[in-house]
Amino acid sequence: MSDLWKLTYSQIKKGLNAGEFTPSELATSLISRIEAEDFKIKAFLSFEKENVLKAAAESTERRRSGKPLSEFDGIPIGIKDNICIEGTITSCASKILENYHSPFHATAIEKLLAKGFVLIPRANMDEFAMGSSTENSAYQITKNPFDTARIPGGSSGGSAAAVAASFVPVALGSDTGGSVRQPASLCGIYGLKPSYGTVSRYGLVAYASSLDQIGPLSKDIDGVVDVYSIISGKDPKDATSKNLTAFDPAKAKPVALEGLRIGKMKMSAEIDPDVAKAYESLLSDLESKGAKLVELDFSLLSNSIPIYYIIATAECSSNLSRFDGIRFGARKDPSGKLEDLYVASRSEGFGKEVQRRILLGTFSLSAGYYDAYYGRAQKARVLIKREYEGYFSKVDLILQPTSPTTAFKVGEKTSDPIQMYKADILTTSVNLAGVPAMSLPIGTDSKGLPIGLQVTAPLFHEEKIFGFAKTIQDWSSKVKLPEQIQ
Amino acid sequence: MNLNEESLQKIAELSRLKIDPKDIQAFLSDFNKVLNYVDTITELDVSSVSDEDLYTNEGNSVRADQVAEGLSRSQIESFAPSFQNGYFVVPKVIET
Repeated sequence: MSDLWKLTYSQIKKGLNAGEFTPSELATSLISRIEAEDFKIKAFLSFEKENVLKAAAESTERRRSGKPLSEFDGIPIGIKDNICIEGTITSCASKILENYHSPFHATAIEKLLAKGFVLIPRANMDEFAMGSSTENSAYQITKNPFDTARIPGGSSGGSAAAVAASFVPVALGSDTGGSVRQPASLCGIYGLKPSYGTVSRYGLVAYASSLDQIGPLSKDIDGVVDVYSIISGKDPKDATSKNLTAFDPAKAKPVALEGLRIGKMKMSAEIDPDVAKAYESLLSDLESKGAKLVELDFSLLSNSIPIYYIIATAECSSNLSRFDGIRFGARKDPSGKLEDLYVASRSEGFGKEVQRRILLGTFSLSAGYYDAYYGRAQKARVLIKREYEGYFSKVDLILQPTSPTTAFKVGEKTSDPIQMYKADILTTSVNLAGVPAMSLPIGTDSKGLPIGLQVTAPLFHEEKIFGFAKTIQDWSSKVKLPEQIQ
Repeated sequence: MNLNEESLQKIAELSRLKIDPKDIQAFLSDFNKVLNYVDTITELDVSSVSDEDLYTNEGNSVRADQVAEGLSRSQIESFAPSFQNGYFVVPKVIET
């Protein structure tokens, strides 16, 4: 039973319910794996082993007495460090929140606990979810389990690496411009950015409120479907949560490829040749099975990164103004004057990338530049939404590579913010439009690094994504997660 | 467009941030790279979008006006940087 960590989400769920192993045995196996390998990966910021074992023992007892909370009771789930868990530090990988113990649970956490999931916090991330490589954490750089000289993607890099390294079968991340999908792609796993408003943001520390969504990452499609079903649904505590019931997993049925209308993109020089090859090969296979390919013009979407950065940083400058050293977080008080306390607490507490984004947001919201930048970006966002509505009048799903490249090397892009921002070139428009999209693995490049496919569906039609992913599971199963971490 | 050092310092002041003098040139260079990149938005034709298109028709989301349990004093004390007798402690704000 010592190698239970190797199991996929589906195998774990089945094994627990068949009584083949207990939640405690499973947790012990995963903890051994984390203790043996995480010093190379650094997926977790802190690891409270005793709490995990205690929760697993409680689950074991519930199952032993025939009273499990649900069929999910005892399944371990990794949690990104920007999702609040009562009594646990939620630092957003930032020094400004290094000692912040959350006094409440995020709604997504409450829902998972009600089903008996065993929480495994705190997965590393880019500070305040700002980054595409998990190199912006104030504490440590997370490495890609396929090659530890490379990044896992970001900002949910800790969650993605934890799943890919088989530390947990499933994890929660958050996606503002691609922060679940891009790391899922670079780590060879599944990762969903749900439709905006379907998952409560209550208890998710806000970066850009109109774009952020909590999303699951998993070794297999069933993990994404199950966790999304549990955490979705209307929450009165979140005014932006839509009046929808939780997703019904029974809707996630394989789809027929015959007659399926698929929107595809023309490959550009920015897409790595190996990524383009895997994408084209999948499309031609789908076409041979009866799918109808429609080439879409994505020229407007190629402007999505500038639009995204103006809107996201404007919201970040507003959201992060609450971190002032007065009510929570770290305080620095160099002179005993209030103004100096604010400035010192923020300047020492926030890292460089966070400061850069706050400054850009303050600039685009300032008098004199508001109309040219923020006002214009909001209008451009409407154009992006219309563009997607136009696409979905012609096709059922849009397929694109998730990331233009496979995992790049640690340090390769840190000196050039634009190169780093371009890592999200294919994902940001999805957040601007609010539509759902998922990354799923479809192959590897010549170095053995994973390639992800981004599947985008119309608003509130996650079932189309899940159905398609189930239909092409054979493609995804070609990508084997690493057992030995180099 | 490009921002000069003085304008960047003004924005930093509005953001309640202080950029270390030894980092200012590197920060300015990075900031201007980003600004020039997002500047492409000024060339986008957004004339088909009116101000009204920016608003939704979803209406307000409201909760019942009911008294509910809030955070306890001890919970607040657990995360406050400085807390005494039920109050957050701040530097003196009134000049005498």
